[in-house]
Amino acid sequence: MKLAWQNIIHDRVRFLCSVLGVSFAVVLMVFQGSLLVGFLQAASRLIDASDFDIWITARGVPAFEFGATLESRVREIAAGVPGVVETGRVSMAFAVYRKPNGKQQIIGLVGADPNIGKRFPVPGLPGLAEVPSPDAVLYDESNRDQIEVTALPAEVEINRHRAIIERQIKGFGSFLGLSYLFTSYRNAARYLGFGPEEAMYILLRVGSGYSVSDVQQSLRRRLPEVDVLTRQEFAHKSRVYWMIKTGAGGAILTGAVLGFLVGLVVVSQTIYANTMENIEEYATLKALGASRTFVARIVITQALICSTVGGILGLLVVVPLVDYARSLISWVYTPWWLPVAMVVPSLLMCSLASIASVRSALTVEPGRVFRA
Amino acid sequence: MPDHFLGVEGVSVSFGKGEARVRALRAVSLLFERGTFSLVMGPSGSGKTTLLSLLGCLLSPDEGTVLVEDVAVNRLREVERTAIRRKKISFVFQAFRLFHSLSAIDNVALGFRLRGGRQSERMVMARDLLNRFGLGAKLHQRPNGLSPGEKQRVAIARALAGNPPVLLADEPTASMDYQAGRNICQILRSQVDEGGKTIVVVSHDPRWREFADRTVVLRDGQVEQEVKNP
Repeated sequence: MKLAWQNIIHDRVRFLCSVLGVSFAVVLMVFQGSLLVGFLQAASRLIDASDFDIWITARGVPAFEFGATLESRVREIAAGVPGVVETGRVSMAFAVYRKPNGKQQIIGLVGADPNIGKRFPVPGLPGLAEVPSPDAVLYDESNRDQIEVTALPAEVEINRHRAIIERQIKGFGSFLGLSYLFTSYRNAARYLGFGPEEAMYILLRVGSGYSVSDVQQSLRRRLPEVDVLTRQEFAHKSRVYWMIKTGAGGAILTGAVLGFLVGLVVVSQTIYANTMENIEEYATLKALGASRTFVARIVITQALICSTVGGILGLLVVVPLVDYARSLISWVYTPWWLPVAMVVPSLLMCSLASIASVRSALTVEPGRVFRA
Repeated sequence: MPDHFLGVEGVSVSFGKGEARVRALRAVSLLFERGTFSLVMGPSGSGKTTLLSLLGCLLSPDEGTVLVEDVAVNRLREVERTAIRRKKISFVFQAFRLFHSLSAIDNVALGFRLRGGRQSERMVMARDLLNRFGLGAKLHQRPNGLSPGEKQRVAIARALAGNPPVLLADEPTASMDYQAGRNICQILRSQVDEGGKTIVVVSHDPRWREFADRTVVLRDGQVEQEVKNP
């Protein structure tokens, strides 16, 4: 396929345009893909961080951020269902935060019992043992600028209650544009004005030997006025809400699709222009007895070369770009498989881009070779 | 009994429709013996190039038969005609039609590639052919760095790659000076004498007469004259 290679490097400017077009598409797709994956992870991160099998929420709660309080009897009834070996409570509500400098802002306050999960950011966990107070307030490092705490511990106010921020944690940045603060359930209930037995989410651990699904069905029968979801179901529900119902996911997906389309148009145009410029050579090839496969391979090879070179260049650019973006948007996440998965749309892009060109090259009349 | 390798029998070809219809060939029958050099002459529009297109399996007649080794190729499918071109017929064009991005040696190697030459041998054979045509110093030149005579010699080398038995040439010496044109005539003649090829050249150039075994003159799509050269 020397002819394919020579044809595209013969016109370096056009080749460069094509490579840049593919690179742009790959950068946009990986970046948008990182936003999408990160967004989905962030939308259910706190749910996923819990160890409990079942979440009970008020009827119709669409996502973790929009919980409503449950009556205290719900927890008691749930605890009595066979198979339930442990219960826990989580709350999440918006509160007014008063910074050390006196400025105020709305924050998301998450409170949880210490047994909720090893990864759940709550004071008293083994990983946070050095936090002196079980009622300490924690914040994510990505929110440092918004929280405006210069030294720890820092005295602040949450819903006009005195609170002490004692520790910075990592990996729980909010995707909502406001900061999250984390504290014990007891502390959060006090700040939010809940009754001592009220809860927003009741979490249940199912004992070994019991089926989560069976326990879930029992709970649904006993508690028809609330939603009983497995952890995975509630995580999925939250992700679907943020992704589809708010339109945020649609906007990110549109960006990724636009990236693909831009790349497709650029590569199509370049390969097509190259094919048409060399259409007489394709006629000559056919006159000399080249098979349809041989002719098609030349065009497709050109598209593949463009997408491979452009794809590699795009990945070289996007890796530091996403790293930089992560310093600004903490929840952006590029899983290892995302750049690898770009092989599929890149190949699809070059295959689609080749269709018109292959068609032109295959349908050129070989008899035109005798026209001077 | 003559050994006819190539020919047309009662072929007619028209282009266009209605009043714009032009009859390029009218019931023409011509046979070309194996190992002979035929020259087809005639004024512009006499049907020379149409005849060459038929013989090269690049065009199908409205009526009549095109024969390659006694096979009526006009009744074959396109893919079969392509295979016949690949195995048996090669072309030399007035406009050379070399691949502009490939060097001289790569152009010739592509000829071998199309005719199934082994990858390891293509470059060696291409080099040998070009050396035989006095282009040993221009192996890696691209077409735009060659003179018209050199380009045509590269095109002939490409046409001979893979040793096809038939060579069809369309005005191969047009736009060449006397010596370069004569050089091309001698190269093609030697392919008949030494290689046993069947060559049909279409040309206005009278220089070809002294190299051809036979001259066919076409006029208005019909054979006006057919002369065996001494």
